[in-house]
Amino acid sequence: MMTFIPPRLRKPGVYALAGLLFSAAWLVQGGRLWWVAIPALIGTVAGTVRLYLVGGTDTDEGDRIGSRADERQQLVSLRSRALACNLTAITSFIGLTAAIAVKGTWGWPFLVTLLITGYGYLFGLGSYGIAEEGTPDEADIGRQARPPVSS
Amino acid sequence: MRNRIREQRRQRGLSQAELAAALGVSRQTVISIESGRYLPSLPLAFTIARFFDLTVDKMFDPDDEEAGA
Repeated sequence: MMTFIPPRLRKPGVYALAGLLFSAAWLVQGGRLWWVAIPALIGTVAGTVRLYLVGGTDTDEGDRIGSRADERQQLVSLRSRALACNLTAITSFIGLTAAIAVKGTWGWPFLVTLLITGYGYLFGLGSYGIAEEGTPDEADIGRQARPPVSS
Repeated sequence: MRNRIREQRRQRGLSQAELAAALGVSRQTVISIESGRYLPSLPLAFTIARFFDLTVDKMFDPDDEEAGA
């Protein structure tokens, strides 16, 4: 679906959609805090315009936001996402451990986050080829892993 | 790993932006490769070498650690 959307509009579009959903959630809940939807909507419009403008600049950030990142920029983005995922997993583990230690009932979101992160990692290993080593040459069939200490 | 991209680019009177457009990468990536801060993938290394009519081992010198990588 994304291929039909011009590259420069993709990330601002996703941001706008997320912001609209977030604003709508405040409206739908209908409580005393319904007005939070208004600043959320203003922030969404401002953020969307900013992303669109930055996406047109000749910078690393502009190329990334404008969805025209080359291999180096994609690698940087990938490493950043991996770091974010590691931090999420570590934080979730700490939160879950703390909840268990104090017998808190608030630990389940940490558990869910940790499970999603873990399964996402395993799914990634399977999808991106670590389980597809290919067929070894005849001479390599039955070859054992190298021992940890060689004599 | 040292490379000869800046030297070759200047010999041909190309700007970093012109080389980037020819290689299909960003100007910032050309700057990073020239300074040795980024090692290009094998396909990009071949594209660069072919663009300058050189072989990959003439373009990139793995024995020279001067530029760092």
